[in-house]
Amino acid sequence: MNVRAPQPNNVVSQSLAQIGNCGLFLLTLLAAIPRSFRYVRETIRQLWFVGAMSLTIIMVCGLFVGMVLMLQLYHVLSIFGGTSASGMVVALSVYRELGPVVTALLFAGRAGTAVTAEIGLMRATDQIDAMEMMAVDPIAYVATPRFLAGLIAMPLLCCVFCAMAIFGGHLVGVTWLGVDNGTFWSNMTAQVDVHTDIVNGVLLKSLAFGAVVSLIAVFQGFTTPPTSEGVAYATTRTVVASSIAILALDFVLTAFLM
Amino acid sequence: MSQPRSSYAVGTGLFIVLGFAALAYLATQTSSVANVHQGDSYVVDAQFTNIGQLKERAPVKIAGVRVGQVQSITLRADHDVADVKLSIDKGYDHIPLDSVATIFTSGLLGDQYVGIEYGSSKQAVAAGGTLARTKSTQPLEEMLGKFFGAGGVVDNVGGSYAVKAGFSNVGTLSAGAPVKMAGVVIGSVQSVHADPVKLNAQVVLSIDKRYNAIPDDSSAAVFTSGLIGSQYVAIQPGGSPEMLKDGDEMILTQSAMQLEDLIGKFLVNGSPSDKKDAGNGSK
Amino acid sequence: MTQPVRATPDDATLVRVRGLTTVLGGKTIFDALDLDIPRGKITSIMGPSGTGKTTLLKHITGQMRADAGSIHVDGQDVAGLSREQLYKLREGVGYLFQNSALLTDFDVFENVAFPLRQHTKLPEVLIRDLVLMKLQAVGLRGAARLMPNELSGGMARRVALARAIVFDPQLILYDEPFVGLDPVALNQVLKLILTLNQTLGITSVLVSHELAAVQQIADHVILLAKGKVVAQGDPKTIADDGSPWTRQFFGGEADGPIPFRYPAGDYAAELGFAGAAK
Ligand SMILES: Nc1ncnc2c1ncn2[C@@H]1O[C@H](COP(=O)(O)OP(=O)(O)O)[C@@H](O)[C@H]1O
Ligand SMILES: [Mg+2]
Repeated sequence: MNVRAPQPNNVVSQSLAQIGNCGLFLLTLLAAIPRSFRYVRETIRQLWFVGAMSLTIIMVCGLFVGMVLMLQLYHVLSIFGGTSASGMVVALSVYRELGPVVTALLFAGRAGTAVTAEIGLMRATDQIDAMEMMAVDPIAYVATPRFLAGLIAMPLLCCVFCAMAIFGGHLVGVTWLGVDNGTFWSNMTAQVDVHTDIVNGVLLKSLAFGAVVSLIAVFQGFTTPPTSEGVAYATTRTVVASSIAILALDFVLTAFLM
Repeated sequence: MSQPRSSYAVGTGLFIVLGFAALAYLATQTSSVANVHQGDSYVVDAQFTNIGQLKERAPVKIAGVRVGQVQSITLRADHDVADVKLSIDKGYDHIPLDSVATIFTSGLLGDQYVGIEYGSSKQAVAAGGTLARTKSTQPLEEMLGKFFGAGGVVDNVGGSYAVKAGFSNVGTLSAGAPVKMAGVVIGSVQSVHADPVKLNAQVVLSIDKRYNAIPDDSSAAVFTSGLIGSQYVAIQPGGSPEMLKDGDEMILTQSAMQLEDLIGKFLVNGSPSDKKDAGNGSK
Repeated sequence: MTQPVRATPDDATLVRVRGLTTVLGGKTIFDALDLDIPRGKITSIMGPSGTGKTTLLKHITGQMRADAGSIHVDGQDVAGLSREQLYKLREGVGYLFQNSALLTDFDVFENVAFPLRQHTKLPEVLIRDLVLMKLQAVGLRGAARLMPNELSGGMARRVALARAIVFDPQLILYDEPFVGLDPVALNQVLKLILTLNQTLGITSVLVSHELAAVQQIADHVILLAKGKVVAQGDPKTIADDGSPWTRQFFGGEADGPIPFRYPAGDYAAELGFAGAAK
């Protein structure tokens, strides 16, 4: 009978241990940044996989979020005769909350799981050991580039998401429901502030989410048992942990930034 | 996967460019940066006695089109008027000298902006010039007063006289509610209390002195503005040569419709066309 | 290009293991193991599976740390090296993984070119020529643009071999290089290992179970069992040295000092035949 070494026996202490290990892993990652400068090519390649390859889903989802938001707002606001504010409300809610949060959730599902599964399989097939043997530091070559790529890709994806949402809102509001084009834009431009909404909302939040999702994805990939079962669990954990972290962090950031 | 290495770089480059383009678009086209004048502009002065909530960088509009923004707001040392500098795009350099600058509010709760209505002068206001004709903002209280005919405002203007009316049911009518004739506010409800003898509600209406030619057989009804709005007293003028005087009592009254009654009527009559009748019947 | 594993001709031993003791998961893998790997020779390490042959190779390259004892590679104590020094050492060591471990992101060519790209700034033409030469040596030049998942196990092994030798290392560790090779490919790989050793003087450590193959090329055989060296000597004669270890291992007998079974409790008892127990 194979008796396993005693694990931390409850969910709380297990999660705490995970968070602690994850924090230590972050330090390792950051310490490897100078060494990973020579793998800039790899960072660019990862940017392609986590960023450019996520564009389609981000654009489609952004479009629909903008469209449905406008549809809902139009019907609520028309009760008060406030449909002229609909463009503004779409912009503000997308910039401050929906853009960063939905992009990060999609990013965790699309890119985070891929990174976890990829690294897990690399470990299962000895590729990480092979790199070690070829005197290539796997943290600097595999982990840090993926982390940095996620960090860079998230704000860019979020900007694309927001732009598509505005486009979708415009499509539904102005083209279909007949909100005045000038009112749509002028109310939006009157209320959206570059600093609070775009820098703090879109950029800062998505940067933070990008860091958290990439960290969790890379960490799970590197620490999961290198078996097919382990990789399967790790991808699930990436999505679950990322989603919780995104929403919790969103609350904290909103409280601090707004 | 086996694409040559350079295609990643190109694709990634495209992705980064697209991301930054989106960012530039958000920052410049959908935010207040878009309101920062694109080209050259010139500055025009305007003095207002009350700027309300007007803020710097608030839009300046002509016929609803944005032509510039408020550059600065200062209080003039020697006067109790606000000196507002309007920065207007060079493209709109033919604003007549006698144009009127007004502080408007976008909607009831929206932000305020400066609207310029063209005058007829042949002479255009020059850079550094002044728009002499201005209309200041309306304080919210005043606007609300106009809206709801708050008793105080009317009372203070020309004095009022009191008229009593008995209702079998006043619904949620309370002191301060408007009294309207032909939809126009002419006074307010002074007090509402129950009469211990007649067992009905005694309402004292305070009516503006200007409206002293209301026939004494006019009827008073408690209406509701809209389905969920507040209640008010509507006066339906009668035909008697005698006019209502201070202390008179109105005989013809119609009580508030109970929601339950309304629903009851609706259910009994059933069809939408009957609903209309029910509405008329309550008048 | 650096050659960190310095050739000091007066020292005949490249890898010196002394008192190596390692416990993994409660199981003693090495028990005060001593062994020497001679420079410039082909040394074959044999032993029942699960003895720790792969683990030993990982100790030599510093991927795993021992609980006690020391490993010196070319005079340097592996456990005492910093990461940079260790990486310098590894640049001079080729390692053929038991399951190839090709990088699945890259095609065959890029896999072989990987160490060159990482550690040199050679011009692309030169990298191309070097890679194609190594691929030609393992007979897979035509497969240069295939992806790892398009290769058979044997082909992947040969690509991994090409990658291990692309840097012309001083020491190559082969972990079961013959598994999954057909007789023709096996013969080629055998010849390749021999050629590398004879023409370039590359020290080779060969972990393998194929006695016939080992006998063709190895200069020295070390038989590991139960965490110790139980026999060593010339491959031609070791099978007949009369020790019970070699007789059982090379004769393939189930009974002998080498346990066929992983340590376990009493069989009958575990099946529940309480009465049958002892
Ligand atoms: N990371 C590890 N944790 C626990 N046990 C391990 C670990 N790696 C290897 N082992 C155990 O060490 C023993 C030797 O493994 P290995 O060196 O792979 O054997 P082989 O001689 O067949 O190559 C095996 O019994 C294995 O179960
Ligand atoms: Mg092995």
